[in-house]
Amino acid sequence: MIRIPNIPESVVVKHGPKAWPLGLAGAGLLIFGSLLSWSFDPQVLGDLSISFNPGALQIMAIAQGLLAIILLLADKGPLTSLGQWADTALALRALATWALLFMAIVLVAITVEAGGLVNIEPGGWIAFLGAVLLFAASRLVLPRETRDLGHARLPGWAEILVIVALMAAILFGTAYALGLSDAWEFVLFLMLVTGVVITGIRAGFLTWLGHVTTRHKHVLMLAAFAVAFLFPFTQNGSDANMSIASQVLIFAAAAMGLNIVVGLAGLLDLGYIAFLGAGAYVGATMSTSAFATIGWKPPFIVVMLVGGCVSATLGLIIGAPTLRVSGDYLAIVTLGFGEIFRLSMFNLDGNNGPNLTHGPNGVPAIPDLTFGSFNFGDTHTLLGIPLARFSNYYFLLLVLIAFIILVFARLNNSRIGRGWVAIREDEKAAEAMGVNVFGLKILAFVVGAFLAGLAGTIKAHQDVSVTPDQYIFLESAFLLAAIVLGGMGTVAGVLIGAVILKLLPEKLRFFADYRLLLFGLLLVLMMRFRPEGLVASRRRQLEFHEADEELAVRVEGDIAEVVI
Amino acid sequence: MHQRSVLRVGAPLIIAALALSACGSRSDTGSGSGASSGNKIAIIGVMAPLSGDLSALGLGIQHSVELAVKEANASNAIPGWTLQVEPKDDEGKPDVGKNAATAFAAEPNVAGVVGNLNSNVAQSTQPVLATAKIVQVSPANTNPTLTKGADFKTAPKRTYDTYFRTCTTDAIQGPFAAQYMFKAGITKVATIHDKKAYGQGLVEAFTGEFTKLGGTIVDAETINPDDSNYQSVITKIKPMSPQGVYYGGEYPQAGPLSQQMKAAGLNVPLMGGDGIYDPKFIVLGGATSAGDLATSVGAPTDQLAAGKKFLADYAAAGYKDPAAAYGAYSFDAANSIINALKVSLKGAKDVASVRQATIDALGKVSFEGVTGHVAFDQYGDSTSRVLTVYKVVSGAWAPVSTEAFK
Amino acid sequence: MDTFVQQLVNGLTLGSLYALIAVGYTVVYGILQLINFAHGEIFMIGAFGALTTSLVLFRGQTGLWVLPFMIIGAIIASVGTAVLMERFAYRPLRNAPRLAPLITAIGISVFLQELVRLNYNHLPFTSWNPFNLPDAKSRIPFPQIDVVTGPAFQIGGVTIQRSAIFTVGALLMCAALLWYFINRTKTGRGMQAVSQDADTARLMGINVDRIIVVAFALGAVLAGIAGVAQGLQNNNIDFRMGFLAGLKAFTAAVLGGIGNIQGAVVGGLVLGIVEGMATQYIPGQFGGSPWKDVWAFVLLILVLVFRPQGLLGAKAVDRA
Repeated sequence: MIRIPNIPESVVVKHGPKAWPLGLAGAGLLIFGSLLSWSFDPQVLGDLSISFNPGALQIMAIAQGLLAIILLLADKGPLTSLGQWADTALALRALATWALLFMAIVLVAITVEAGGLVNIEPGGWIAFLGAVLLFAASRLVLPRETRDLGHARLPGWAEILVIVALMAAILFGTAYALGLSDAWEFVLFLMLVTGVVITGIRAGFLTWLGHVTTRHKHVLMLAAFAVAFLFPFTQNGSDANMSIASQVLIFAAAAMGLNIVVGLAGLLDLGYIAFLGAGAYVGATMSTSAFATIGWKPPFIVVMLVGGCVSATLGLIIGAPTLRVSGDYLAIVTLGFGEIFRLSMFNLDGNNGPNLTHGPNGVPAIPDLTFGSFNFGDTHTLLGIPLARFSNYYFLLLVLIAFIILVFARLNNSRIGRGWVAIREDEKAAEAMGVNVFGLKILAFVVGAFLAGLAGTIKAHQDVSVTPDQYIFLESAFLLAAIVLGGMGTVAGVLIGAVILKLLPEKLRFFADYRLLLFGLLLVLMMRFRPEGLVASRRRQLEFHEADEELAVRVEGDIAEVVI
Repeated sequence: MHQRSVLRVGAPLIIAALALSACGSRSDTGSGSGASSGNKIAIIGVMAPLSGDLSALGLGIQHSVELAVKEANASNAIPGWTLQVEPKDDEGKPDVGKNAATAFAAEPNVAGVVGNLNSNVAQSTQPVLATAKIVQVSPANTNPTLTKGADFKTAPKRTYDTYFRTCTTDAIQGPFAAQYMFKAGITKVATIHDKKAYGQGLVEAFTGEFTKLGGTIVDAETINPDDSNYQSVITKIKPMSPQGVYYGGEYPQAGPLSQQMKAAGLNVPLMGGDGIYDPKFIVLGGATSAGDLATSVGAPTDQLAAGKKFLADYAAAGYKDPAAAYGAYSFDAANSIINALKVSLKGAKDVASVRQATIDALGKVSFEGVTGHVAFDQYGDSTSRVLTVYKVVSGAWAPVSTEAFK
Repeated sequence: MDTFVQQLVNGLTLGSLYALIAVGYTVVYGILQLINFAHGEIFMIGAFGALTTSLVLFRGQTGLWVLPFMIIGAIIASVGTAVLMERFAYRPLRNAPRLAPLITAIGISVFLQELVRLNYNHLPFTSWNPFNLPDAKSRIPFPQIDVVTGPAFQIGGVTIQRSAIFTVGALLMCAALLWYFINRTKTGRGMQAVSQDADTARLMGINVDRIIVVAFALGAVLAGIAGVAQGLQNNNIDFRMGFLAGLKAFTAAVLGGIGNIQGAVVGGLVLGIVEGMATQYIPGQFGGSPWKDVWAFVLLILVLVFRPQGLLGAKAVDRA
């Protein structure tokens, strides 16, 4: 259902027809300007100074111009069959706004980097003018009644092709974004992506995509994993990005585990990092490091299980007493537990308590994993592409994440998962309906802890050293933020949240000092304006917006919950 | 409606930014300074906390390295090569440090790295750089295990042959302090440390030497560095009536500890290592910190001619942040790499192929630096054993005695 | 014996500080059933308010007459922050699921810490610092007041610091005023009514929104005073001081029975004494100052297991 704002008749008559040519002119200028030189100084933002040999940013601008032309032609012209379905007017507005912002930031970037406005060549101004015209035109385009894109269908093979194309775009987009070393280019690329995604949302394309992916859920999962698997092959043997990527995966694995506790069962755990830490300390102290304190050196798979079990036991110890009282207590007690864990690891150095952890110095020099003759520290060549240390860990972590997602999905779609939802919504009612509230809460807590423990053992080897200050409260808060940001109780959301929270700070070093400030603000604003997260589970969304009748109807309309 | 609000905020900001930056001039950086001379590029990396609590120290390290490289380029120290500095932030965290090290390892032009500030970060970066055979010289890591392995006391064994440092280890500073205290007639001492590698190492080394000399350790306590109230520890120490307190740790804790000790009526001097040798110690310790002692490595920077020149050059270069505690060591660390590169890069076609030669050359460097003579022993530790005792006199650190440790 | 009394004195001093902060948790919880996780930061901001007052208006002055101004400065800063926080972060979430305000609280907590750390001595993105305030990225020495921070008193073998007398005195005075406010004023009785039944209270013509603001402000006043007390005792403050203090104070509030004001005071004192005694009397490797925080949190968990309503009994414990 698309709402059409009331537009005074006079406006319609006066401005409606002018929009179309104006828009085409704007898009044309944007493209033409982008083919010319933007910057006098060839040193900034890649080389934007050569006419008719567009640099990366100019290609991005051209892409936006082309997309605008497609939308305009769909509005009126040869592509109107597409326009029947897509809401081109809203989409064009979004696109034009972001294109204008894009061009404006480009001009600012050139000005700042090259030292002065004079460094902008006519091409930059022409493209900017084009964006302004496009923006003006988009405000005049009239919204039309469209058919619900959700009902549009393509042949099955075509839909699968769309998914594959999308995944390929994600793969190359990510590889490209990671390869950008300049912060301006990175930000501008992110703006392009955001602009295109919002355009897609406004056009209704994403709703359609949602339906398509529900119809081909398995294809989507497979494609997603294929993309993740192929990612190291795009790096040409460079390990710099893989190091970040494998840290993102560890973080995502822990966040997924926490998602079971917070997202599914609704228990706020503020000391979750301690479970990851427990696993890491097990992995470290049972490794063959010279600083390891436990003599038993079983194969790594056993260490992983021990790590998981130690974490789960800690979860049981902390959960059993506190899960009987209300959720607020749990939050603070787990916070206290996180501190107990950190302080204990800090203290157990032989002076205060037995020497288990070497205190604040931690356990360094943890050797790389070896499975048989496969050493994770070595570079292995596959299909002619060298895959170095972090790529090896990346693959291992991918397997772990797949396992965690499997556990998550199985639990979510079972009796247990429905029990958790019942507890989350109304504990007393759930108990009255015969749900084993205490047992299910403990289960969530223990399963979450177990998974974090598994991830921790790998983290120990990947990080080479384990120290107590890696497991401070702020890390727990970051994990929680990943869930809140992405969308509680969803897989895709949490993965997106983890990527955003770990990747952006690596790429945007220039605001390093303001990172935490923005992080705090983000949490507050998210809770205020979009508590269900970026990728909302429909059921969750309804919980946070109980008064929204329209949403309730929509949620009821969906037979199966869209959780990808 | 969403885009509208974005625009409403964004447009004025952008207009303002454009207006502000409009008064610029056409830049002429087009003809790059390095590339035009036909020189090849060798990069010296810096890994230090450039943001966060320790950024003052980290930025001092970065600028000191920049100064060393600037001077080397100006004097054409390595003919045919231009040196560049590439700083990377480690935030004082092992994870982030490891990412930075991995990024350096992936760059073929990196000839050497100065860093890290923190010993626990270095633990994570050592193996990464060692795999890539990139030399690493730390201006500030004092933990003995970094060079001599887990059993540094009984069976020292070099762990990574790419790792060197220009500062002394805890194993030398502690005994030096013990000798000074004992000579000053203090025979009963209580020790406190913060459990970190640095503090604990200092106290252990101090205790060993002090008891060997015939002194008594009346009480040994630890504190948690996150605390800011040390009343409970002071209460435990006071009845033992020590004549002095030896503290292993850094000034953010030592300053308040000194102040609280004296407020609680324990009027004895507090002594520590180079971690408390900082003006901030006196600011935090207040007026009652007078008489407190600290040891630091090398002769006072502003007493050596070379040190004075370094400080003057640093001031003249106009860096925004002061050289801080480790500036001089970083300058020497960078120069030790430059000296090694003078040997290894001679006639070389690229940086990556001479990395092993650089390691070998760095082990053999020997020159007069701004902190004294710079050379490395078979473990990669600095051979310099000159230390200075400082005392708080009327609100400032004043050198009391400078000696070579025996 | 001297050591025992000494640790008792230390414990009472520490406990008074916890009690002052704990009242803030308990008052807000009693009325809103909300754990204001960011209350520790209010305490921190109070300490910085006092510091700023002293540095801007009375630079270098150490006379006793400066102290009341510092306390007023602390209270203005902490109450202002608490009221803004309530208005812009918590009020819009009043009917949201319970996770929302807790997560918001974490966000506020991080935000306030970072705000102080980065921007205490200048406005954002500028270096404008007319009063030459110190950099808040590391510990800052707190201004000393001759009468309150001078040499300690010796009674037998026991040392009693002047700042300790100030802290305990502040707690006693605040407790008395608080009792008077809650039981003898109209607003105080309104608070009691709202904590018993907000809907009925509204029907009786009580402005519930106003009462909630008063509750936040009341907690902030005490936290601000606690901030000054801690500054005088430890001689230094930093942007992190609110986290651990807040956590301890919450423990104290639960220990005494959350929602119960007397409970918060008793809980704070008990927790302080337990910490002091644990440092001195737990033998072997698990004693001493490194483990005292661990024992405090273990105490919290034990209380929740065996007596979730706290020592004096909570107003309402939501048992599953």
